[in-house]
Amino acid sequence: MPDETKAVDFDRTFLPHMDAAYNLARWLVRDDHDAQDVVQEAYLRAVRFAGGFRGGDPRAWILAIVRNAAFTWLKRNRGADQTTEFDEQMHGEAIEENGLEADTVRKADGALIRAALDELPAEFREVIVMRDIEGLSYKEIADAAEVPIGTVMSRLARARAKLARSIQDRIAKER
Amino acid sequence: MNCDDARLLIHGHLDGELDLVRDLEVERHLEECPRCAREYAALRAMRTRLKEEEFRFEAPAELKEKIRRSIPEPSPRRANAYPSQRGPWAPRAIRFAVPMAIGAMLALVIMPRALAPNANQRIAGEVVASHVRSLMAGHLMDVVSTDQHTVKPWFNGKLDFSPPVTDFAKDGFPLVGGRLDYLEGRPVAALVYQHGKHVINVFMWPATGEATSAQRIETEHGYHVDQMTVAGMNCWVVSDLNQQELDKFAGLLRAKG
Repeated sequence: MPDETKAVDFDRTFLPHMDAAYNLARWLVRDDHDAQDVVQEAYLRAVRFAGGFRGGDPRAWILAIVRNAAFTWLKRNRGADQTTEFDEQMHGEAIEENGLEADTVRKADGALIRAALDELPAEFREVIVMRDIEGLSYKEIADAAEVPIGTVMSRLARARAKLARSIQDRIAKER
Repeated sequence: MNCDDARLLIHGHLDGELDLVRDLEVERHLEECPRCAREYAALRAMRTRLKEEEFRFEAPAELKEKIRRSIPEPSPRRANAYPSQRGPWAPRAIRFAVPMAIGAMLALVIMPRALAPNANQRIAGEVVASHVRSLMAGHLMDVVSTDQHTVKPWFNGKLDFSPPVTDFAKDGFPLVGGRLDYLEGRPVAALVYQHGKHVINVFMWPATGEATSAQRIETEHGYHVDQMTVAGMNCWVVSDLNQQELDKFAGLLRAKG
């Protein structure tokens, strides 16, 4: 019983998620040093706002702060290009067919997959990193990315279709 | 389900985020449509690749060290070994939280007895619990069929009564299957209907005593429970549908009786 009445133990609650925080920041800003700045800034904010943490998944909570810091950084440093290339309904209602073979992905070069992911719009990179690399649930992604939960699946579907398509195109070009 | 829908929903399927009914629909579509099955296989392979270590950046040691050092040691927000050094909010929180927690515990212990729920309320509780369990455990249906002539005979030999089974698909409440369940200390028939994304469970067993008129029993978990007697059967309908739609469904069911 007394545990609930204590303030959150910042070290034990949030420090274990520094890798997740860095991973997300690194994929979003795509630069090691900038990602470090973003994560550090995010943790400073987290310390300040830890009193507002009301339980739930601490990783999703810290990732929400990290992604906000990262998007602020993107806006400030890369102008508008990051956000203009993203449009939720870019390809109309339907999700495009990816045309990729399972075996092709299995054999694909890791660097090629990384490059393909790196080139997606930030909002697409974000959901793929949160879901596929960090393993967050749709609910946690919705909380962290501050979108309705219904948006998570459609955004993820579009992001994965685009990533698959890009992997396919890159492999075709190499041949 | 058409391919456009499937192309979106396979992601929820892949991530284990769909409700059971839709999950089954996707599975069925993947069995029937080689094109979508191929898309799905590729997506699954892609996700497996992305889980590999090479795609996860690890925080550099110096960053971790910097963050550790930057966290102010005597942070007023942090838990402290000495209550006297806690922020002024802490004793206040304890003053409220402790009695509240004790109150909540007492309520749990005392309420069920103090309120002495009548039989109907007790059954309603069981019905809701069964409904929730059926949605959770991947055990919504033992017989999956939208055909009442498949579902009804399925119960033969499993129950000592034959429940009336009607499909209300043309009214927007398709029958999707049935299963055996256990309520009130006896095996009962559970019919599963669907309305949009919502699942409706209808539990049936022979009514004893005189027929009761339909009554609604509210529960506190956001589920609605209706009780009625249809064709000599004690019927319990439970769903997270809204009132009007559940009323409509209950009307259809009663009209059969």
